[in-house]
Amino acid sequence: MSRVRPKVRRSPALSVLLALALAWGAAAAPRSEGPLRAYLPGDTAVPGWAMDGAPQEFEGEDLYIYIDGGAEIYEEYGFARVIVQDYKNTAGKSVSLEIFEMEAPAAAFGMFTFKRSGRGRSLELGGGSELESYYLNFWKGRFLVTLTGFDESEGTVVGLLSIGRAVAAKLPGGGEAPGLIAALPAEGLRPGSVKYLKGVLGLNNVYPFYAARGLAFKEAVRGIYDRGETLILLDYGSVEARRAAWLELRAEIQRSERFEPAKNYLADAFAFEDGKGQYVAFGEAGARLAVGIHSTLEWALATVARVR
Amino acid sequence: MARKIGRREFFRRSAGAGLTLALGRTLSASSSAGRKAPVVGVGIGSDNEQAAVKAVQLLGGMKKFVTKKAKVALLPNVQSRHPGSYTKPEVLRAVIKMCKKAGAREINCLSWQSMKQWEDTGLKAVIDAEGVGLKLFEKDEALFRPVAVPGGVALKEARVLAALYDHDLFINMPITKDHAGNKFTGTMKNLMGLNSPVNNRTFHHPNWQTDPEAVAHLEQSIVDLNKALKPALNVVDATEIIVTNGPFGPGQLFRPGKVVAGTDRVAIDAYCASLWGLDPKDIVQIKKGAEQGLGQIDLAKVDLREENI
Repeated sequence: MSRVRPKVRRSPALSVLLALALAWGAAAAPRSEGPLRAYLPGDTAVPGWAMDGAPQEFEGEDLYIYIDGGAEIYEEYGFARVIVQDYKNTAGKSVSLEIFEMEAPAAAFGMFTFKRSGRGRSLELGGGSELESYYLNFWKGRFLVTLTGFDESEGTVVGLLSIGRAVAAKLPGGGEAPGLIAALPAEGLRPGSVKYLKGVLGLNNVYPFYAARGLAFKEAVRGIYDRGETLILLDYGSVEARRAAWLELRAEIQRSERFEPAKNYLADAFAFEDGKGQYVAFGEAGARLAVGIHSTLEWALATVARVR
Repeated sequence: MARKIGRREFFRRSAGAGLTLALGRTLSASSSAGRKAPVVGVGIGSDNEQAAVKAVQLLGGMKKFVTKKAKVALLPNVQSRHPGSYTKPEVLRAVIKMCKKAGAREINCLSWQSMKQWEDTGLKAVIDAEGVGLKLFEKDEALFRPVAVPGGVALKEARVLAALYDHDLFINMPITKDHAGNKFTGTMKNLMGLNSPVNNRTFHHPNWQTDPEAVAHLEQSIVDLNKALKPALNVVDATEIIVTNGPFGPGQLFRPGKVVAGTDRVAIDAYCASLWGLDPKDIVQIKKGAEQGLGQIDLAKVDLREENI
């Protein structure tokens, strides 16, 4: 193996100056440890598990170095920094710990809802958590924590939980979800289905509109209900902004080859068939646009009617 | 150590060997008209190495793509060590062995990812065991060369790892998986691993706002990059893949138990997307790739050869 560095031609004088500058910089501003190190469980915090190697830390746009090709969604929610630390137990099992500090608790909650599948096991951990076959996600305050095992063995899962609890005990902050979550009618809502969204990338992952305009919402929430109906609430911050956005979005959808206007409905809502066997109904509700999605027109419309 | 080859010589060699690592080749929608149905080979089974061998056999064997004494570059995906997010070591091993058997004189994996990623994914162990090269590069612009994008819509110039052009051909070896940005990653997206990180960032609009136009720009840039780079062969790991939280994971694992091979990137990506229920026409880069002549999106028009090992 070889690691290749480019050849750089410098004058001797420039080299001396550069060396002096680097030496001065190193002395004046020694590389400090990031603030997230305080939340890492130490070698004795979790019996049987010890740190394996040094932590890695990435801040701001450097997230693209760590999550090359996948940092955009974190940036959309509002990312500050991350620390990554591996742990190993005496049996040789490994767990990777990632603590993401987001810009606000709503961002941490949003990324948590984005990353969970809703099919895992919910645990009493932080503001909310989900344990899936080989990984655990939870959030607390403005922090999102992801622990990954590299198999599904009992020893690994015990490690995920033990390290997770040790981190949760150190993290500040509470577990209050953004207010928009409460706008989803509670009856029949599948708890693990709730996703809090801050932009189009997140929205595309729950329902792609393939629209270029009308989707500049401030925040949004998605819930799935007992009959499989989906409700999305897009909040634009004001009635005026919502009205303007809806005009744009409706025009986009009407122009789209993908959406066909739904026939034979009497409600005062707009509804379309999306070419994928789903009906999509829209309803205006103050600063919010309600979107109901179901395989039947009746239930798509009924879903919207619940929040109008 | 092999000497570097220039662009002119490179073209000569490529043409002579029937190789396809082509620069400056114009690909338009009309260029695919009248073509024979592209062949996609799919090896199916729990033995990942044998599945990879089967997939290439179904295309006629590695000798069709790797000529004797060729210097071969390999591009596996080492983006993350989370399960289902990187090319399996067994798939890499199979490709290396097939290249050797075909008579390759030198084989190198190229990457600007870190050694830790190669070690953590188990790919470094395969490279060592097989005695092939691993060339890791600093993320330094001086190591990338400007490459014109023929027919580029969003991307007029790529900046490709210069060391690629020291090779006679390259084999693209992604894992197919979910991607938060565009719901899918496969052969076309993987080529960003040969483009400079700085140029890759231009795929995102300044002050990235993830608005639909910005997402469309990203997708078009990926398609454009694929106009400038054409692998001799694509071997895609679809054995165990994440279908949520991609591309980095951890995410829900899905196990199709398949390795997919071929030269038509659009056809391969369309097939891989369909593995977990995606409609290829909903994946913007696949759709645009087809519209702009990179390949066949309609699987009914693909010579799909699936076989159990």
